[in-house]
Amino acid sequence: MPKQKLTLAVTGLNNTDNPGPGVPVIRGAKESEDFDIRVIGLVYENLEPGIYMEGICDRIFQIPYPSSGSDELIERIEQIHQQEKIDVLIPNFDAELFSFMKNEQRLLDSGIHTFLPSLKQFQEREKDQLAKYGEKYGVKVPGSINLGSVGQISEMEDKFDYPVMVKGQFYDAYEANNEEQVKQTFHKISAKWGFPVIVQEFVKGTEVNVIALGDGKGNTIAAVPMRKQYITDKGKAWGGITLADEKMMELTRMLIQKTKWKGGMELELIKTFGGEYFLIEINPRIPAWVYLAVGAGQNIPDALIKLALGWDVKPMTEYKIGKMFVRYSSDLIVDLEKFAAISMNKEI
Amino acid sequence: MKITEEIKISDNGFVFNSKTGDSFNLNPFGLELIKQIAEDKDFESIRDVMLEKYDVDDLTIEKDFYEFYALLKYHQIIAPGDPLDFK
Repeated sequence: MPKQKLTLAVTGLNNTDNPGPGVPVIRGAKESEDFDIRVIGLVYENLEPGIYMEGICDRIFQIPYPSSGSDELIERIEQIHQQEKIDVLIPNFDAELFSFMKNEQRLLDSGIHTFLPSLKQFQEREKDQLAKYGEKYGVKVPGSINLGSVGQISEMEDKFDYPVMVKGQFYDAYEANNEEQVKQTFHKISAKWGFPVIVQEFVKGTEVNVIALGDGKGNTIAAVPMRKQYITDKGKAWGGITLADEKMMELTRMLIQKTKWKGGMELELIKTFGGEYFLIEINPRIPAWVYLAVGAGQNIPDALIKLALGWDVKPMTEYKIGKMFVRYSSDLIVDLEKFAAISMNKEI
Repeated sequence: MKITEEIKISDNGFVFNSKTGDSFNLNPFGLELIKQIAEDKDFESIRDVMLEKYDVDDLTIEKDFYEFYALLKYHQIIAPGDPLDFK
């Protein structure tokens, strides 16, 4: 059967040492057995490596940051859509999700399909809501306190011993071992991501993650657990391996079933030496290590596209255990014309 | 006491725990030991095999065996239990 032609728009082409999920999402989508994919790369910066990588995007368009306002962003997407006829859009940044969720219907009316969590689902898993989330859904979470000012540090010290994890609303997490470090990190994070700054109790153990896809009806369409084998100074996985951990799978299926999660997600967990699992974060989108899941047998980008188009997608229950990914860095040699085109024309 | 089912042992001495993601490199002596344990043999049988194959005394075998056993337990390669109860 001939493959169905499809135009896919993707953000997050920043394949840096803090990589966005865009490029691996595209790699997965291009391996689809059902779609012949044409890729529209949507970028915020003119040096996002995905712009210059061969065989990744067919067209590139620069879009305005969501901080410029949702309308401006969506209008730009509509303008690109008039030219390129986007079938499916996969946003890959936490910070832009709100704008796309809010405008889901508007995008659909113009023919752009997305598959995103609802605003309620998105908001209840936010880092400053995690304690409530854990209580509501019966998951262990570390104790946390939301800081609006450094004056609250003493309140935090009454609750937790050092070290603690200091986190931004959207990104960034640092370990702090004393009051001075909490203060420094508080200022650094609040300047970048605003308030509150979240201080989380430090749970000792091994960090493990699950990538998953929920169909919005309570079914887990895909789930692959992974352990980071090499972590960069930014806390990002530079290598990872798929695990055979039924408890992690059960936890994932339970959360997706109870929350009826719609879309891609990543559960970040700490497994203690006693074998307990603490949920430390839920990322409401496909993570950057998605290509490991594709390599292990679950093509999550392909399944997400099908769900966005309203196809009936059966849960994938098998994956290869012990599959690894190892990232690498490489220098792309780029002609100035390409850089000039994206800088001046905002498209290539 | 058995090696847990998530453990994969390669003939070159590479051991992978698919539940935790940990991996280990064993020397030929360690590989021989873990293979004997995987066959669910008791300590006396393992000691006899090792004494026959390697130039080592009784006491060293016993000491090495229990140290190795404790390491296997620590890394969840075998289920927790008292090494002295080992059959």
